[in-house]
Amino acid sequence: MSAVVESIDRIRLIAGNTFLEAVRQKFFNSLLLISIALLASSTFFQQFDFGTGELKFITDFGFGALFFFGSILSITATTQLFFNEIENRTALTMLAKPVYKLEFLAGKFLGAHMLMLCFTLVISIVLAGMLYWRETELMARLGDEFTEGRLIRYGDIFIFGFLQWLKFGVLAAITLFVASFSNTNLYTIVVSFFVLIICQLQYIARDAYSSMEAGVGSWLVKVLGLIFPNFQLFNVGEQLVFNVEQGLPTVTLLQITAYALVYTVAFILLGQVNFRRREI
Amino acid sequence: MSIPAIRIQGLTKDFSVGMRGLKLRAVDGLDLEVGDNQIFGLLGPNGSGKSTTIKVILGLLEASVGKCEIYGKPSHTVDARRSVGFLPEAPYFYRYLSGRELVRFYARVCGVARANINDQVDSVIDLVGMTEAAHRRVGTYSKGMLQRIGLAQALVHDPQLVILDEPTAGVDPLGSAAIADIIRELKRRGKTILLSSHLLAQIEGLCDRVAILHRGKLVREGRVDDLVQDELSESLVVEGLSEAGRAAVAQAITEHGGRLCRVEKPRLSLDALFLNEVNQQESARQQTEASAPKEGGLE
Repeated sequence: MSAVVESIDRIRLIAGNTFLEAVRQKFFNSLLLISIALLASSTFFQQFDFGTGELKFITDFGFGALFFFGSILSITATTQLFFNEIENRTALTMLAKPVYKLEFLAGKFLGAHMLMLCFTLVISIVLAGMLYWRETELMARLGDEFTEGRLIRYGDIFIFGFLQWLKFGVLAAITLFVASFSNTNLYTIVVSFFVLIICQLQYIARDAYSSMEAGVGSWLVKVLGLIFPNFQLFNVGEQLVFNVEQGLPTVTLLQITAYALVYTVAFILLGQVNFRRREI
Repeated sequence: MSIPAIRIQGLTKDFSVGMRGLKLRAVDGLDLEVGDNQIFGLLGPNGSGKSTTIKVILGLLEASVGKCEIYGKPSHTVDARRSVGFLPEAPYFYRYLSGRELVRFYARVCGVARANINDQVDSVIDLVGMTEAAHRRVGTYSKGMLQRIGLAQALVHDPQLVILDEPTAGVDPLGSAAIADIIRELKRRGKTILLSSHLLAQIEGLCDRVAILHRGKLVREGRVDDLVQDELSESLVVEGLSEAGRAAVAQAITEHGGRLCRVEKPRLSLDALFLNEVNQQESARQQTEASAPKEGGLE
């Protein structure tokens, strides 16, 4: 039991140090500022007078910014944090200590994931704040459309943020897996972005095999559909924030969480298999 | 008989090179044993397999063939690494941490008990002479300071075996001498030290035993004195001998069946000369500085 506690403690230490390194990176701070600026810029579209539709526009804009910049940050930060250790040979010092390579990988992952938590939280808070401000203004101007109170369920913004954060976790784990056998930053980033696109468009393959006859092709598409996580599952924005009557069921939320956890753990373990053989 | 600190048996390490997977043999059938409480030097030119051997000992690389043990435990296990401290060649640490934070971080990674951590960190920082600079960020350290703080992180969990890969590479002679003193102190404390270095003069004065590697193979291994000693010759160092006296000595040697090969003046090593000169200058400067405030006080 104490070995497990010691192991968790080491992972926590490595994760904390990785997070500290991550938040000091200019790239993170720049991307965060750009995301906030972009989000804020969505209010300039009010001159088109969308009415309450403006709130939906800002929400979609915010969710889009969270996904787009979050994906970039998740891949690049994880890659950089991993290769910094390898190229600067700090990994050599670390792995010469009584540290398992899995602990090292898990620590790197958690550090990067903590960074994504900060990013997601900041963007969600800014988005919620902006929506609140615009909704209050619109309520004063268009009182008739708000007879049942506020249209926006603000808690849902954070539920969406939570799901995106889980998705970033899967993406970071995939990136770590690619980094575990790759020799360069660039290769890792390019391959991870390809995987991101495959995961985003994976539902097309699922649709295809559902209409295919049983055979090798169908089997192959099915296997590929299992290997690459389906990122569309996390895009539940339509069921959140505005759709008051048919909100996202808690069971679905838990299922998506479990789905993300399974893929995250699987890719970290696969990364460990490669990393064990890697020459540091 | 005590368990050796390191036991390497038939170690071979091959690396795959290029797309065709050609094998490059970095270490070839190495047998080596490092006894407890020794300073052991691993010597060899670049590419001789020193760093690869060290990485296998540390479990950072898997042996292609053969086995390696640290105090009887397979070296690739985490358990074996609990008794090992390692200073890599040209160490690079997290630049944003202060020296103390860095040593503390590694102490926690190594599982030093919370109750002892501050004492342990202070103790090793003091041992390596970094107390005054411990609060500064590692990014501001000179090469010599990096080596010292690297030594501190290697020692913070009180390991029985300390492995130093080129500990004095890029460090000036004063820094090198200081590191050599620390290594001697570690031996006095009962530790075993394995070090690789190109600075043969330093190794000679420091190590109990050395092994020479060439192209991955062990060429020679043994006690330094045994290896460098010329078994067939002896030297007499004399002072104040006249020409007549020297002739008499030469004749006596001949009469007793010997042969006087050469007469030469004992030489000081350049290292020793440098250290003497710099230490003298430093002492003089300190004396001057010590006397300066008194003069100021009189005015």
